[in-house]
Amino acid sequence: MSSIPSLAPADEPTIAERAQLRVETGLVKPLAERENNRFSRARPAPRERRVRITNSTMSTDKSGRSFLPFAIDVRFGSDWRENDIVGCVYTPNGDIFVKRGDSYRPAAFLLGENVDPVTGVCEAAPRS
Amino acid sequence: MCGLVRLATETVAGVADRSLIGVRSMVVTAAARNLLFDPSVLVDVPGFLARLLPRFFWISMWVGSALITASSVAYFDFATLPPFVIEKLPVRFETLWLASLRIHVASASLSFPLCLLLMTRWLQRRPAWHRTIGRFACGLVLAALVPSGVVVAFDAKGGNVVTAGFLLSAAIVAGGTVLGVLAARQRDLASHRRAMRHVVGQMSVAVASRALIVCFDFVGLDPDIAYIVALWGPVLGAVAVVERPALERTFSSFKPIQHVGGMFREASPLAIRLRIRNVVDSVARTGR
Repeated sequence: MSSIPSLAPADEPTIAERAQLRVETGLVKPLAERENNRFSRARPAPRERRVRITNSTMSTDKSGRSFLPFAIDVRFGSDWRENDIVGCVYTPNGDIFVKRGDSYRPAAFLLGENVDPVTGVCEAAPRS
Repeated sequence: MCGLVRLATETVAGVADRSLIGVRSMVVTAAARNLLFDPSVLVDVPGFLARLLPRFFWISMWVGSALITASSVAYFDFATLPPFVIEKLPVRFETLWLASLRIHVASASLSFPLCLLLMTRWLQRRPAWHRTIGRFACGLVLAALVPSGVVVAFDAKGGNVVTAGFLLSAAIVAGGTVLGVLAARQRDLASHRRAMRHVVGQMSVAVASRALIVCFDFVGLDPDIAYIVALWGPVLGAVAVVERPALERTFSSFKPIQHVGGMFREASPLAIRLRIRNVVDSVARTGR
């Protein structure tokens, strides 16, 4: 049995862990790099951010692409504020979308790019 | 002649010594009654603060205005969105809101330094310049700053409490500007000064509230609460500072200790001694 290669070794990250890593490198880190101490009325940069994958089972949108929803919590003082940013990460290509109002926009929006909302993303298709 | 002068000097000095003894006895008696030597009467501190605080205010306002202007450049980079805009979007009327924000930022960047300049003695001593710059600044405030600020205020983060704070500030700025202009036209300079101090006071909220947000962030206060406190505190504080003389007059009857302070200065043994020395010195000089 030991000669048979395992399909999912114990040290290989799960899909949820990969998604979390993708959000951390693709959104949380650039956000932290972009934020500095500004003399502005904008909200100050949080002391800390943490990423949570809110559903470890894959969902599929209407176009058949699979994604995982995530939430980012922030901490300013001692208490954590949950769901400061919510969105989803597409597992095949690593695209990240964040919810603003009622729609989802590419995560680049939070990094300053003026991108329009994308319809149909991060919404699980009804199961037939 | 010298003998006469010495006699006169000694006479005056004797009178002075006797009067000093009288004053000392009066002071001791008063001290026993806890009337003149109250430790809360700090004669020199208000004068020192009165000079220091306005200078600190002016320097911090100029520095704050420069910092705000420098950080506002990002609003005119049309390719990217500044953090404040990202935080706010989506809003109901996005194009109107964004245009109003840019007009507000641009007009504030210009009108605030102009108003600070108009408050300087240097410009006030040059009436023609003061009038011309004042007209331009008032036009800018009434035509651009306040209307755009009102539009932006309705989508302020923090909800109705913050919207009310911004609208109150806008009303004070608009009202102060109109009343200040009317007072200037009627040559009522006291009313003009008071109204324009309200305008500058509300403009200083821009600097004070940002400074407070930085301070509150440093101590880890919740940013939503910090935002509300950092707005309302300076708005009401600016009104209180401008109206301080009127408030002091209103509440002066509730501060008897100030009157005691006045009595202390009136009956100061040091003052009497100085007067006596002047008398003695003048007599001695006459003798020479």
